Amino acid sequence: MSSGDNSGGLMSSAGLVRYFDSEDRNAIRINPKTVIAFCLLFGLLVQILTISVA
Amino acid sequence: MSWKEAAEPVLTRMPVVARPEGHVPFKRKLLWTAGVLGIYFFLTNITLFGLDAGGSDIFGQFRSILAGGQGSILQVGIGPIVTASIVLQLLGGANLLGLDTENDPRDQVLYQGLQKLLVVIVTIATAAPMVFTGNFLPASQSVGNALGIGVTGVQLVIFAQVFVGGILILFMDEIVSKWGVGSGVGLFIIAGVSQQLIGGMISWEALGASGFFASWYGILFGETTLGSTFTAEWFQNLLFPPGDLLALVTTLLIFGVVVYAESVRVEIPLSHSRVRGARGRFPVKLIYASVLPMILVRALQANIQFLGQIIYSQMGEAMPTILGVYADGQPVDGLFYYLAPIQARQDWMWFLGLTPAGIEPWQVGLRVAIDLIFMLVGGAIFAVFWVETTGMGPEATAKQIQNSGMQIPGFRRNPQVVEKVMERYIPQVTVIGGALVGLLAVMANMLGTIGNVSGTGLLLTVSITYKLYEEIAEEQMMEMHPMMRQMFGNE
Repeated sequence: MSSGDNSGGLMSSAGLVRYFDSEDRNAIRINPKTVIAFCLLFGLLVQILTISVA
Repeated sequence: MSWKEAAEPVLTRMPVVARPEGHVPFKRKLLWTAGVLGIYFFLTNITLFGLDAGGSDIFGQFRSILAGGQGSILQVGIGPIVTASIVLQLLGGANLLGLDTENDPRDQVLYQGLQKLLVVIVTIATAAPMVFTGNFLPASQSVGNALGIGVTGVQLVIFAQVFVGGILILFMDEIVSKWGVGSGVGLFIIAGVSQQLIGGMISWEALGASGFFASWYGILFGETTLGSTFTAEWFQNLLFPPGDLLALVTTLLIFGVVVYAESVRVEIPLSHSRVRGARGRFPVKLIYASVLPMILVRALQANIQFLGQIIYSQMGEAMPTILGVYADGQPVDGLFYYLAPIQARQDWMWFLGLTPAGIEPWQVGLRVAIDLIFMLVGGAIFAVFWVETTGMGPEATAKQIQNSGMQIPGFRRNPQVVEKVMERYIPQVTVIGGALVGLLAVMANMLGTIGNVSGTGLLLTVSITYKLYEEIAEEQMMEMHPMMRQMFGNE
């Protein structure tokens, strides 16, 4: 295993958006589960709206 | 006061997905990745509320690399992320930002915030013309009447949904990057292209179009005839649909070339300065900057076409011919015709009568030439910027090698010396690799691929999958040997 190969440790495949380890204390942190739950509920809401109004 | 101080209060407060505390086991990572993928497919199948029937996809052929789905909540796909990335690459590559993302944690935070803010702005800028101009996302009159908000009200509701979808894609990407394997952007590209590729292989007539296997079943069992053996017609039917052997060969060729090119590298020998006998190699890969910069070039072309579509939807036939002449929503003459990349065989095979009537061979030739130049030069330029902004350049790698205690045998142990050696390889390899990938993408588009996935889509998919495989292998090794984690510097 060559040393320089991966020592960056920050880049992931197709990392168009780059995330670093450092974060500001003021930043609003969201739990990933909250995001997933929001996606599910949002999708369901739109579907229900479509069914009930159309 | 620089822009940094002014923007700091906003940029540092952008919401982020929380980082995992401590190590995430590999199985958990796979679960997160699969979960996000599931949600992604779920959302691409939810039609926007208030949408009327009809409407054309503004992304057109670019859809396969920009992911998402026409008319769904994920209408914009990864388009805004890619466009924001172009802006950042250009600003960062030209060093106009003045952010030191290598060393300064404060600048890293600002960079992350700026990145997110840009995506939000671009999402608005992309979604607004889609909803409010033209007929890309027509609002339903009946829904407007039923709710008593009129068509404008429905348009606002659709806009809100498209906007939320765009933001959700960004957060899903962040979840995969922080909690899963690879990145969300890569995952969504692979998902879309693979779906198309498998569809092109195994689809049958009842599902719409015959896939490759179905066509050959028909040929072998006499349902489809190719014409008399060894005539021109026979060859044509064999190479093009229904036989479509050319697409199969192109697809396999791209797979082969990308996997082969991943292993083509210049290896710079390294030895440890203290531990005798500890040797290593630093690989400078041929497609060093990987295929990612390609998506930026394609997205630039997509944005140019996007602009053309908007101008056309606003001006209609009054649009100057020198800018563009549109037929069935596609440019057939003018500037936007020549700037449109070759997406499929029917864009250039005039000798088979595939191009629309009225387009001369010299026009086709000019368009192919412009596309080639755009991709070759663009591929090289964005590859160079990519290497610079992601810390893969000579200076950054020299520092990494120095910090790991390695040196190039026969040279003094000094970052400047290592940098000199790196400068002999990295820029050249990057430019050649970028141009090569550009050429491959254009070629694949011209010859056609199975399932009509674009050349760039196929290149991206194969290369991202390869990287993902490497990453998974590395993860597994770290699971088995916790010591490795220290060596890789994770946690």
